[in-house]
Amino acid sequence: MVEFWDDFFSYLASVGYMKLVRIFWFYFLFEFFRYIFLETLALFSWKFKQRVNRKALQEARKLMWDESPLVSIIVPGKNEGKHIFKLAQSLREQTYKNYELIIIDDGSDDATPEICKNLERNGMITLFLRNDVRGGKASAANLGLRFAKGKYIIHLDADCSYDRDAIENIIIPFYFDQRIGAVGGNVMVRNYKESLCTTLQAIEYTDTISVGRIVTSHLGIYRVISGAFGAFRSDVMQRIGGWDIGPGLDGDITVKIRKLGYKIHFEPLAVCLTSVPNTFRKLIKQRLRWDKSLIRFRLRKHRDVFLPNQSFKLGNFVSFAENVTYNLVLNIFWYGYLFDMIFNYSSQLKYIIIMNFFLYTLNNYFKFILFSPFRERKHAPIHYFLIYIPLMVFYFGYLLRLVRSVAYLSEIFFKASYKDPWNPAKTSRHAKEMGL
Amino acid sequence: MENNNQDTLYQVVDNVLEFQGHRFFVATQGTSLKTEQALIYDAFIIEAGDLNYTLHILKKIRGHLNPELYLKPIFLLKGNEKHDPLVNNLTDGVIYSLDQVKLVIPVMEQIYLKVADLSFTRSLSFEAQMIDKILNMMYSRDKKELEPIPYFNSGIGYSFPEASINFGYRDEWQVLDILDIAEKEGLFASEYLDRIYLCNNCSGGFLSYREVCPHCASTNASSEDLIHHFPCAFIGPISDFKNEIDNQLNCPKCNKMLRHIGVDYDKPSIIYTCGKCNSKFQDISVRAKCMMCTKDAEVQYLIPRDVKMYRMTKKGETSAQTGYISTSKDIEEFIGTVKLETFKTMIKYEIERLKQTDYNSNIAGIYLKNAGELYSMIGASSQRALLRDLVEIVRRNIRSSDLITFQNVNIVLVSLNEIPTKVADNILKEIINIISRLIKQNFKNFDVDIRYSVHQLNTRLSHELQIQQVTKDFVD
Repeated sequence: MVEFWDDFFSYLASVGYMKLVRIFWFYFLFEFFRYIFLETLALFSWKFKQRVNRKALQEARKLMWDESPLVSIIVPGKNEGKHIFKLAQSLREQTYKNYELIIIDDGSDDATPEICKNLERNGMITLFLRNDVRGGKASAANLGLRFAKGKYIIHLDADCSYDRDAIENIIIPFYFDQRIGAVGGNVMVRNYKESLCTTLQAIEYTDTISVGRIVTSHLGIYRVISGAFGAFRSDVMQRIGGWDIGPGLDGDITVKIRKLGYKIHFEPLAVCLTSVPNTFRKLIKQRLRWDKSLIRFRLRKHRDVFLPNQSFKLGNFVSFAENVTYNLVLNIFWYGYLFDMIFNYSSQLKYIIIMNFFLYTLNNYFKFILFSPFRERKHAPIHYFLIYIPLMVFYFGYLLRLVRSVAYLSEIFFKASYKDPWNPAKTSRHAKEMGL
Repeated sequence: MENNNQDTLYQVVDNVLEFQGHRFFVATQGTSLKTEQALIYDAFIIEAGDLNYTLHILKKIRGHLNPELYLKPIFLLKGNEKHDPLVNNLTDGVIYSLDQVKLVIPVMEQIYLKVADLSFTRSLSFEAQMIDKILNMMYSRDKKELEPIPYFNSGIGYSFPEASINFGYRDEWQVLDILDIAEKEGLFASEYLDRIYLCNNCSGGFLSYREVCPHCASTNASSEDLIHHFPCAFIGPISDFKNEIDNQLNCPKCNKMLRHIGVDYDKPSIIYTCGKCNSKFQDISVRAKCMMCTKDAEVQYLIPRDVKMYRMTKKGETSAQTGYISTSKDIEEFIGTVKLETFKTMIKYEIERLKQTDYNSNIAGIYLKNAGELYSMIGASSQRALLRDLVEIVRRNIRSSDLITFQNVNIVLVSLNEIPTKVADNILKEIINIISRLIKQNFKNFDVDIRYSVHQLNTRLSHELQIQQVTKDFVD
């Protein structure tokens, strides 16, 4: 063992800069550039812009409070009754009070109807709607949208909870820029201490949502408003006819709004806490569903974004291109990189794997610590997560990459998303026939 | 009017028919009946032409509180009128002409024979009075069961003829309370038949059930099917899909024509729209409007009541014969006494306590044998005053830690703890003397029969058995 480490450090000392870049070209060429260099620049630029727009933001806040528009909060779901009381209670704590809460039960077969009817009678729910026959999340959300009276629509997941000022903060951006059509909330992990799986997801969410979406939003390429917490202009939703069949309807609706020429904004101050899957089995199932939507929506349904026809918009093109490049293309490249290492550095592979681990761990620590001041709740202690960060190499670099690969392949070759029981077969069949 | 046939010789003068020494009052249409005069007739014959008139006369007789009147036989002189269940239940027979009057004589005699078995006492409360009346009516008619009949003229939808006749349309619900008390007292056994719902304001049973808007309670609500269009996930009321040109349904989101339910669309539920407040809802409320007091109430706040068939028990029969004076509730209310159940519990604890000590405790009973006779001489308020005095006398002669309870209106039970039985016996003697003197002073012509019994509590016997032994002394 000691001999191995002696050999490893000898090898490390003998590797020059050029060879290091040659060995880790994938990292330096794509990942360091995008996730460290570009994100750091974007974050500082965003902070600067925040400072410049300070007064305009205050003005937007004032305008919003002066108008105090009716906000329709719609919560579609199946068998979510157990969460509804807590949700309604957490919404009662909101600083913004002028809202109507519409719960849509998509064919629940538990006590959800009884619970919700009771809450409706007690005035904790404004309107409870139920489809006796399950129609899928999109139709449930559309039912809520059909009877919503608010100027803004907020889509929530029943099992989430919200900061006291979350509703207020997610509406303000609409008053800051009239061209904003939808605003995404900042989704954080509530059950991060529940298991190793949830802790790793919490670190991932901090990176990809709390910080990553500040960057994409600032660069104008923000592309998915989480179903857990998103706000939409009601008139825009009427124009696009609400949600289309999922899975992946969150990303789909964001694209539809972008296509109309509206901006999509991420609001880090609008904080939502969600419970993430607590086992790796559940996580893989969730991510397989999410990842298939890249093929289905970006490359099939909305492929026109790439085509220089009438609906071409540079912002949408860049957003799609970045998404497809960094998720699909580089995912394929990574396997090429793997082959490169196996064939060209087979004798040094054991040292390269260890160096790779240290490199990415260093990268992750750097990002986690350096970007902390930019994220909401910057003063919250981060020490709990520090010991888990080395595991992110396996979680993000290997596990999720593998899951992505399986999802892409199954969607490209078998259109697997149309068979996903998450959506009723009767609607998926039509979506498949129509290429939706 | 006269009939000279030897077998059916009768004469009707001024609505009075005399036959074989019996006097019948023949109530023909429009004839008034004064209750004070009614007592002189042996029976009544009501000409059944107009139902309202028949019910009016029936109510006057059967609804009266005087047993000499309400127990009198009533017969119906019937044509081809519609069958009215209340009338049929409260009359004792039907004749089709006055010539048939001889046919009712055996019935009358049978009724009077049964009435002779009854003792008429004055009851301590309204409830007891009503129970006594029902028992008397049933006993005199040899009727064992009091069956509710669905009746459109009843304020609660069901009529218990012998009981309901005592109440008006608006307070007929009290019949249910009274019969429940009678059942609890063991005078009736019951069998469940139905459940009714009464107004939570006036207890009326004439309710109009309506579907209303849950927000403004307006009945002006209309429903529409919701349509889910599968291909585009649009969902909305059917009116969103209709057009003004033809009967086709077109999706407002994707403009596609709906073709086949279950294939490209379905109807997952319905939605109501209120015509008054314009609110949307899926669960319409049901409210009940009381047609008596006009209160509109949510159905969950209506008062549910069981409708039962009551069967008179042996105790009920005996109570009819001896007169029913008070319900348990009537005698539980006297200050200085405890409920019988509490008394029993305390005796039980006392027996347990005695097992640990060398003390001697006693249980005693005071029995007013002819209490019914006494109570029938005086009104309800005087009865209460008498019972109050009786309790006060007992209380003055025992220690404050000793308990008094009424087993019934005739028997008072007393606990006398931690004293020798001989002393307890002396105390009881003194109490009996005082009570006797009190009754003699106040009711000069009444010869009171008052007894007592004292038992030392036995730690080897149950409290129930020892209380029974005290009572048994009086029966023997």
